[in-house]
Amino acid sequence: MATSFSDPATNSPSRGPAWASCLGVVAIVFGIFLTATHGNEWMKQAVIAQPASSEQVAEADCPEDELEEEGISLAECEQLVANIETMTVSRPDWFRGFQMGLAALGTVVAFGSVIIGAALTHYRHWAPAAAILTFGALAAIDIVGFIAVVNAGPLLRALYLWNILLWFLIHMIMTVGAVAGRRSETIDRQIGSQSADGRQPDPDPDWSV
Amino acid sequence: MHWILAVSIFFLFVSSWWMLGLPLPSEVFRFREFPFQLHKNLGITLVMVLAVLLYVRFKHRPAPVTSEAMRPWMQKLAVADHVILYVIIIACCVSGYMSSSYSGWGTTFWWLVEFPNWGYENEALNILYSDIHLWTCWALLAIMAVHISGALYHAFLNDGVVRRMLRL
Repeated sequence: MATSFSDPATNSPSRGPAWASCLGVVAIVFGIFLTATHGNEWMKQAVIAQPASSEQVAEADCPEDELEEEGISLAECEQLVANIETMTVSRPDWFRGFQMGLAALGTVVAFGSVIIGAALTHYRHWAPAAAILTFGALAAIDIVGFIAVVNAGPLLRALYLWNILLWFLIHMIMTVGAVAGRRSETIDRQIGSQSADGRQPDPDPDWSV
Repeated sequence: MHWILAVSIFFLFVSSWWMLGLPLPSEVFRFREFPFQLHKNLGITLVMVLAVLLYVRFKHRPAPVTSEAMRPWMQKLAVADHVILYVIIIACCVSGYMSSSYSGWGTTFWWLVEFPNWGYENEALNILYSDIHLWTCWALLAIMAVHISGALYHAFLNDGVVRRMLRL
Protein backbone atom coordinates (compact mmCIF):
# COMPACT_ATOMS: atom_id res chain seq x y z
CA MET A 1 0.00 0.00 0.00
CA ALA A 2 2.89 2.37 0.65
CA THR A 3 3.81 4.68 -2.21
CA SER A 4 7.29 5.49 -3.47
CA PHE A 5 7.11 9.26 -3.22
CA SER A 6 10.06 10.94 -1.56
CA ASP A 7 9.83 12.92 1.65
CA PRO A 8 10.45 16.56 0.68
CA ALA A 9 11.78 17.39 4.12
CA THR A 10 14.56 14.89 3.99
CA ASN A 11 14.57 13.79 0.34
CA SER A 12 14.43 10.25 1.69
CA PRO A 13 11.75 7.77 0.69
CA SER A 14 8.52 8.37 2.60
CA ARG A 15 8.16 6.22 5.70
CA GLY A 16 5.00 4.45 6.65
CA PRO A 17 2.10 2.94 4.81
CA ALA A 18 -0.75 4.90 3.24
CA TRP A 19 -3.34 3.68 5.78
CA ALA A 20 -1.32 5.21 8.64
CA SER A 21 -0.95 8.51 6.78
CA CYS A 22 -4.71 8.69 6.04
CA LEU A 23 -5.87 7.54 9.47
CA GLY A 24 -3.36 9.83 11.18
CA VAL A 25 -4.60 12.98 9.49
CA VAL A 26 -8.26 11.99 9.95
CA ALA A 27 -7.51 11.42 13.66
CA ILE A 28 -5.89 14.86 13.89
CA VAL A 29 -8.83 16.66 12.24
CA PHE A 30 -11.49 14.87 14.31
CA GLY A 31 -9.33 15.10 17.44
CA ILE A 32 -9.21 18.88 17.13
CA PHE A 33 -13.01 19.09 16.65
CA LEU A 34 -13.64 16.75 19.56
CA THR A 35 -11.27 18.55 21.95
CA ALA A 36 -13.21 21.75 21.25
CA THR A 37 -16.57 19.97 21.61
CA HIS A 38 -15.71 18.30 24.94
CA GLY A 39 -14.17 21.55 26.22
CA ASN A 40 -17.37 23.38 25.35
CA GLU A 41 -19.49 20.70 27.04
CA TRP A 42 -17.45 21.12 30.22
CA MET A 43 -18.02 24.87 30.10
CA LYS A 44 -21.75 24.39 29.41
CA GLN A 45 -22.22 22.33 32.55
CA ALA A 46 -19.99 24.64 34.61
CA VAL A 47 -21.91 27.76 33.56
CA ILE A 48 -25.46 26.41 33.81
CA ALA A 49 -25.33 25.70 37.51
CA GLN A 50 -28.65 26.83 38.96
CA PRO A 51 -32.10 26.06 37.64
CA ALA A 52 -33.94 28.96 36.03
CA SER A 53 -37.42 29.14 37.54
CA SER A 54 -40.54 30.01 35.55
CA GLU A 55 -40.72 33.37 37.34
CA GLN A 56 -37.28 34.17 35.97
CA VAL A 57 -38.54 33.52 32.45
CA ALA A 58 -41.05 36.31 33.00
CA GLU A 59 -38.21 38.48 34.32
CA ALA A 60 -36.07 38.00 31.20
CA ASP A 61 -34.32 41.32 30.65
CA CYS A 62 -34.82 42.23 26.99
CA PRO A 63 -34.17 45.95 26.40
CA GLU A 64 -34.87 47.08 22.85
CA ASP A 65 -31.33 48.32 22.12
CA GLU A 66 -29.92 44.94 23.20
CA LEU A 67 -32.40 43.12 20.97
CA GLU A 68 -31.32 45.26 18.02
CA GLU A 69 -27.64 44.69 18.77
CA GLU A 70 -28.16 40.93 19.03
CA GLY A 71 -30.52 40.86 16.02
CA ILE A 72 -33.21 38.93 17.89
CA SER A 73 -36.92 39.40 18.64
CA LEU A 74 -38.49 39.73 22.11
CA ALA A 75 -39.86 36.17 21.84
CA GLU A 76 -36.38 34.87 21.00
CA CYS A 77 -34.90 36.79 23.92
CA GLU A 78 -37.37 35.12 26.29
CA GLN A 79 -36.64 31.78 24.69
CA LEU A 80 -32.95 32.19 25.57
CA VAL A 81 -33.99 31.89 29.21
CA ALA A 82 -36.27 28.97 28.43
CA ASN A 83 -33.28 27.22 26.81
CA ILE A 84 -31.51 27.22 30.16
CA GLU A 85 -34.60 25.59 31.64
CA THR A 86 -34.43 22.88 29.00
CA MET A 87 -31.10 21.87 30.47
CA THR A 88 -31.98 22.24 34.15
CA VAL A 89 -35.43 20.59 34.23
CA SER A 90 -34.30 17.54 32.26
CA ARG A 91 -31.04 17.10 34.17
CA PRO A 92 -30.95 14.63 37.09
CA ASP A 93 -28.90 15.73 40.13
CA TRP A 94 -25.98 13.49 39.23
CA PHE A 95 -25.83 14.56 35.58
CA ARG A 96 -23.94 17.85 35.86
CA GLY A 97 -20.97 16.52 37.85
CA PHE A 98 -20.83 13.33 35.83
CA GLN A 99 -20.96 15.15 32.50
CA MET A 100 -18.25 17.62 33.61
CA GLY A 101 -15.96 14.73 34.59
CA LEU A 102 -16.62 12.88 31.35
CA ALA A 103 -16.10 16.05 29.29
CA ALA A 104 -12.81 16.78 31.07
CA LEU A 105 -11.60 13.22 30.39
CA GLY A 106 -12.85 13.48 26.80
CA THR A 107 -10.94 16.73 26.28
CA VAL A 108 -7.66 15.15 27.43
CA VAL A 109 -8.08 11.92 25.42
CA ALA A 110 -9.26 13.83 22.32
CA PHE A 111 -6.16 16.04 22.46
CA GLY A 112 -4.12 12.87 22.95
CA SER A 113 -5.64 11.52 19.73
CA VAL A 114 -4.26 14.57 17.88
CA ILE A 115 -0.76 13.65 19.06
CA ILE A 116 -1.35 9.96 18.25
CA GLY A 117 -2.57 11.03 14.79
CA ALA A 118 0.69 12.90 14.19
CA ALA A 119 2.66 9.86 15.41
CA LEU A 120 0.67 7.59 13.05
CA THR A 121 1.43 9.89 10.13
CA HIS A 122 5.13 9.67 10.98
CA TYR A 123 4.60 5.93 11.54
CA ARG A 124 6.35 5.68 14.89
CA HIS A 125 6.60 1.99 15.82
CA TRP A 126 4.36 2.44 18.89
CA ALA A 127 1.75 4.50 17.07
CA PRO A 128 -0.63 1.74 15.77
CA ALA A 129 -1.02 0.16 19.23
CA ALA A 130 -1.43 3.57 20.86
CA ALA A 131 -3.99 4.53 18.20
CA ILE A 132 -6.09 1.42 18.93
CA LEU A 133 -6.03 2.25 22.65
CA THR A 134 -6.80 5.95 22.20
CA PHE A 135 -9.54 5.58 19.57
CA GLY A 136 -11.01 2.73 21.60
CA ALA A 137 -10.98 4.95 24.70
CA LEU A 138 -12.79 7.69 22.78
CA ALA A 139 -15.42 5.17 21.64
CA ALA A 140 -15.79 4.00 25.25
CA ILE A 141 -16.28 7.60 26.41
CA ASP A 142 -19.01 7.95 23.78
CA ILE A 143 -20.75 4.80 25.03
CA VAL A 144 -20.60 6.00 28.66
CA GLY A 145 -21.93 9.42 27.62
CA PHE A 146 -24.68 7.78 25.59
CA ILE A 147 -25.79 5.65 28.55
CA ALA A 148 -25.73 8.69 30.85
CA VAL A 149 -27.91 10.74 28.50
CA VAL A 150 -30.33 7.83 27.96
CA ASN A 151 -30.87 7.93 31.74
CA ALA A 152 -31.51 11.70 31.73
CA GLY A 153 -34.71 13.42 30.60
CA PRO A 154 -36.22 13.42 27.09
CA LEU A 155 -35.17 17.03 26.45
CA LEU A 156 -31.52 16.17 26.99
CA ARG A 157 -31.87 13.01 24.93
CA ALA A 158 -33.15 15.12 22.02
CA LEU A 159 -30.19 17.48 22.46
CA TYR A 160 -27.35 14.98 22.84
CA LEU A 161 -28.05 11.46 21.61
CA TRP A 162 -27.64 11.88 17.86
CA ASN A 163 -24.35 13.78 18.21
CA ILE A 164 -22.95 11.16 20.56
CA LEU A 165 -24.00 8.38 18.19
CA LEU A 166 -22.23 10.07 15.26
CA TRP A 167 -19.04 10.49 17.29
CA PHE A 168 -19.24 6.87 18.41
CA LEU A 169 -19.50 5.71 14.79
CA ILE A 170 -16.50 7.84 13.82
CA HIS A 171 -14.41 6.45 16.69
CA MET A 172 -15.52 2.89 15.97
CA ILE A 173 -14.45 3.28 12.33
CA MET A 174 -11.10 4.75 13.40
CA THR A 175 -10.49 1.95 15.93
CA VAL A 176 -11.33 -0.77 13.40
CA GLY A 177 -9.15 1.01 10.81
CA ALA A 178 -6.19 1.03 13.23
CA VAL A 179 -6.70 -2.66 14.12
CA ALA A 180 -6.90 -3.64 10.43
CA GLY A 181 -3.90 -1.47 9.51
CA ARG A 182 -1.78 -2.97 12.28
CA ARG A 183 -2.80 -6.48 11.21
CA SER A 184 -1.96 -5.82 7.56
CA GLU A 185 1.51 -4.67 8.61
CA THR A 186 2.04 -7.93 10.49
CA ILE A 187 0.96 -9.91 7.42
CA ASP A 188 3.28 -7.81 5.19
CA ARG A 189 6.18 -8.51 7.56
CA GLN A 190 5.42 -12.27 7.54
CA ILE A 191 5.40 -12.31 3.73
CA GLY A 192 8.56 -10.16 3.62
CA SER A 193 10.49 -12.47 5.97
CA GLN A 194 9.41 -15.55 4.01
CA SER A 195 10.67 -13.91 0.79
CA ALA A 196 13.96 -12.98 2.46
CA ASP A 197 14.45 -16.60 3.59
CA GLY A 198 14.09 -17.69 -0.02
CA ARG A 199 10.83 -19.49 0.72
CA GLN A 200 7.76 -19.09 -1.43
CA PRO A 201 5.47 -16.55 0.27
CA ASP A 202 2.52 -18.32 1.87
CA PRO A 203 -0.33 -17.94 -0.65
CA ASP A 204 -2.78 -18.05 2.24
CA PRO A 205 -1.20 -16.11 5.12
CA ASP A 206 -2.70 -16.27 8.58
CA TRP A 207 -5.18 -13.35 8.67
CA SER A 208 -6.51 -14.23 12.07
CA VAL A 209 -5.98 -11.51 14.70
CA MET B 1 1.83 25.38 18.88
CA HIS B 2 -0.05 24.66 15.65
CA TRP B 3 -2.36 22.19 17.46
CA ILE B 4 -3.02 24.54 20.36
CA LEU B 5 -3.96 27.22 17.82
CA ALA B 6 -6.23 24.82 15.93
CA VAL B 7 -8.03 23.56 19.04
CA SER B 8 -8.42 27.13 20.35
CA ILE B 9 -9.92 28.34 17.07
CA PHE B 10 -12.47 25.51 16.93
CA PHE B 11 -13.27 25.94 20.61
CA LEU B 12 -13.89 29.65 19.98
CA PHE B 13 -16.30 28.76 17.16
CA VAL B 14 -18.21 26.08 19.06
CA SER B 15 -18.40 28.05 22.29
CA SER B 16 -19.43 31.30 20.58
CA TRP B 17 -22.38 29.64 18.85
CA TRP B 18 -23.46 28.22 22.21
CA MET B 19 -22.85 31.32 24.35
CA LEU B 20 -24.89 33.57 22.05
CA GLY B 21 -27.84 31.31 22.91
CA LEU B 22 -27.50 32.21 26.59
CA PRO B 23 -29.88 34.77 28.18
CA LEU B 24 -28.95 38.44 27.76
CA PRO B 25 -27.02 39.71 30.80
CA SER B 26 -29.06 41.21 33.64
CA GLU B 27 -29.07 41.34 37.45
CA VAL B 28 -30.59 37.85 37.52
CA PHE B 29 -28.86 36.21 34.58
CA ARG B 30 -25.08 36.26 34.55
CA PHE B 31 -24.61 33.15 32.42
CA ARG B 32 -22.70 35.03 29.72
CA GLU B 33 -20.02 36.47 32.01
CA PHE B 34 -17.62 33.52 32.12
CA PRO B 35 -17.94 32.34 28.48
CA PHE B 36 -17.51 35.87 27.08
CA GLN B 37 -14.50 36.57 29.28
CA LEU B 38 -12.96 33.21 28.29
CA HIS B 39 -13.72 33.91 24.61
CA LYS B 40 -11.88 37.24 24.78
CA ASN B 41 -8.96 35.78 26.74
CA LEU B 42 -8.51 32.94 24.28
CA GLY B 43 -8.72 35.32 21.33
CA ILE B 44 -6.05 37.63 22.75
CA THR B 45 -3.83 34.66 23.66
CA LEU B 46 -4.31 33.26 20.16
CA VAL B 47 -2.85 36.43 18.61
CA MET B 48 0.14 36.19 20.96
CA VAL B 49 0.74 32.50 20.12
CA LEU B 50 0.35 33.28 16.43
CA ALA B 51 2.97 36.04 16.72
CA VAL B 52 5.43 33.53 18.24
CA LEU B 53 4.57 30.96 15.55
CA LEU B 54 5.16 33.50 12.76
CA TYR B 55 8.45 34.59 14.35
CA VAL B 56 9.64 30.97 14.46
CA ARG B 57 8.37 30.39 10.90
CA PHE B 58 10.32 33.38 9.54
CA LYS B 59 13.40 32.66 11.64
CA HIS B 60 13.57 29.02 10.52
CA ARG B 61 12.12 28.97 7.03
CA PRO B 62 11.22 25.44 5.93
CA ALA B 63 12.80 24.07 2.74
CA PRO B 64 10.59 24.40 -0.34
CA VAL B 65 8.37 21.42 -1.12
CA THR B 66 9.80 19.28 -3.90
CA SER B 67 7.16 16.56 -4.18
CA GLU B 68 6.30 15.41 -7.72
CA ALA B 69 2.68 15.42 -6.64
CA MET B 70 2.77 19.14 -5.85
CA ARG B 71 1.76 21.04 -8.99
CA PRO B 72 2.75 24.73 -9.36
CA TRP B 73 -0.81 25.96 -8.79
CA MET B 74 -0.95 23.89 -5.61
CA GLN B 75 2.23 25.54 -4.36
CA LYS B 76 0.70 28.95 -5.01
CA LEU B 77 -2.59 27.94 -3.37
CA ALA B 78 -0.73 26.65 -0.31
CA VAL B 79 1.22 29.91 0.10
CA ALA B 80 -1.92 32.03 -0.47
CA ASP B 81 -3.90 29.87 1.97
CA HIS B 82 -1.32 30.39 4.72
CA VAL B 83 -1.01 34.14 4.18
CA ILE B 84 -4.80 34.64 4.09
CA LEU B 85 -5.25 32.32 7.09
CA TYR B 86 -2.85 34.31 9.27
CA VAL B 87 -4.25 37.67 8.16
CA ILE B 88 -7.84 36.57 8.81
CA ILE B 89 -7.04 35.13 12.24
CA ILE B 90 -5.47 38.44 13.26
CA ALA B 91 -8.34 40.46 11.72
CA CYS B 92 -10.91 38.28 13.46
CA CYS B 93 -9.27 38.61 16.88
CA VAL B 94 -8.54 42.35 16.60
CA SER B 95 -12.08 43.18 15.41
CA GLY B 96 -13.51 41.12 18.29
CA TYR B 97 -11.38 42.99 20.79
CA MET B 98 -12.32 46.37 19.26
CA SER B 99 -16.01 45.45 19.35
CA SER B 100 -15.66 44.53 23.00
CA SER B 101 -13.83 47.80 23.69
CA TYR B 102 -16.64 49.89 22.22
CA SER B 103 -19.32 47.80 23.96
CA GLY B 104 -18.32 49.15 27.35
CA TRP B 105 -17.68 45.67 28.79
CA GLY B 106 -14.16 45.39 30.23
CA THR B 107 -11.62 42.68 29.50
CA THR B 108 -9.60 41.15 32.33
CA PHE B 109 -6.87 39.05 30.77
CA TRP B 110 -7.18 35.60 32.33
CA TRP B 111 -8.93 37.24 35.30
CA LEU B 112 -5.63 38.83 36.31
CA VAL B 113 -4.74 41.88 34.22
CA GLU B 114 -7.26 44.63 33.47
CA PHE B 115 -6.97 45.42 29.76
CA PRO B 116 -7.40 49.01 28.60
CA ASN B 117 -10.48 49.79 26.53
CA TRP B 118 -9.25 51.32 23.30
CA GLY B 119 -12.52 53.19 22.86
CA TYR B 120 -15.41 54.70 24.76
CA GLU B 121 -18.85 53.06 24.79
CA ASN B 122 -20.17 53.56 21.27
CA GLU B 123 -23.03 51.47 19.94
CA ALA B 124 -22.40 52.20 16.24
CA LEU B 125 -18.69 51.29 16.39
CA ASN B 126 -19.47 48.25 18.51
CA ILE B 127 -21.88 46.99 15.84
CA LEU B 128 -19.43 47.86 13.02
CA TYR B 129 -16.56 45.90 14.61
CA SER B 130 -18.97 43.15 15.60
CA ASP B 131 -20.00 42.79 11.94
CA ILE B 132 -16.34 42.72 10.85
CA HIS B 133 -15.69 40.09 13.54
CA LEU B 134 -18.61 37.99 12.30
CA TRP B 135 -17.67 38.10 8.61
CA THR B 136 -13.95 37.55 9.14
CA CYS B 137 -14.81 34.52 11.26
CA TRP B 138 -17.02 33.07 8.49
CA ALA B 139 -14.12 33.70 6.07
CA LEU B 140 -11.79 31.97 8.54
CA LEU B 141 -14.01 28.87 8.51
CA ALA B 142 -13.93 28.82 4.70
CA ILE B 143 -10.15 29.21 4.49
CA MET B 144 -9.66 26.54 7.16
CA ALA B 145 -11.74 24.17 5.02
CA VAL B 146 -9.21 24.73 2.20
CA HIS B 147 -6.33 24.25 4.69
CA ILE B 148 -7.74 20.95 6.02
CA SER B 149 -8.58 19.74 2.49
CA GLY B 150 -4.95 20.31 1.48
CA ALA B 151 -3.69 18.30 4.46
CA LEU B 152 -6.14 15.46 3.72
CA TYR B 153 -5.20 15.47 0.01
CA HIS B 154 -1.52 14.98 0.82
CA ALA B 155 -2.33 12.41 3.52
CA PHE B 156 -4.41 10.29 1.12
CA LEU B 157 -1.68 10.66 -1.51
CA ASN B 158 0.95 9.69 1.09
CA ASP B 159 3.51 11.84 -0.73
CA GLY B 160 5.41 12.84 2.41
CA VAL B 161 4.19 16.45 2.37
CA VAL B 162 1.88 15.83 5.31
CA ARG B 163 4.79 14.49 7.39
CA ARG B 164 6.57 17.75 6.67
CA MET B 165 3.53 19.63 8.00
CA LEU B 166 3.38 17.50 11.12
CA ARG B 167 7.07 17.35 11.96
CA LEU B 168 7.33 15.92 15.50
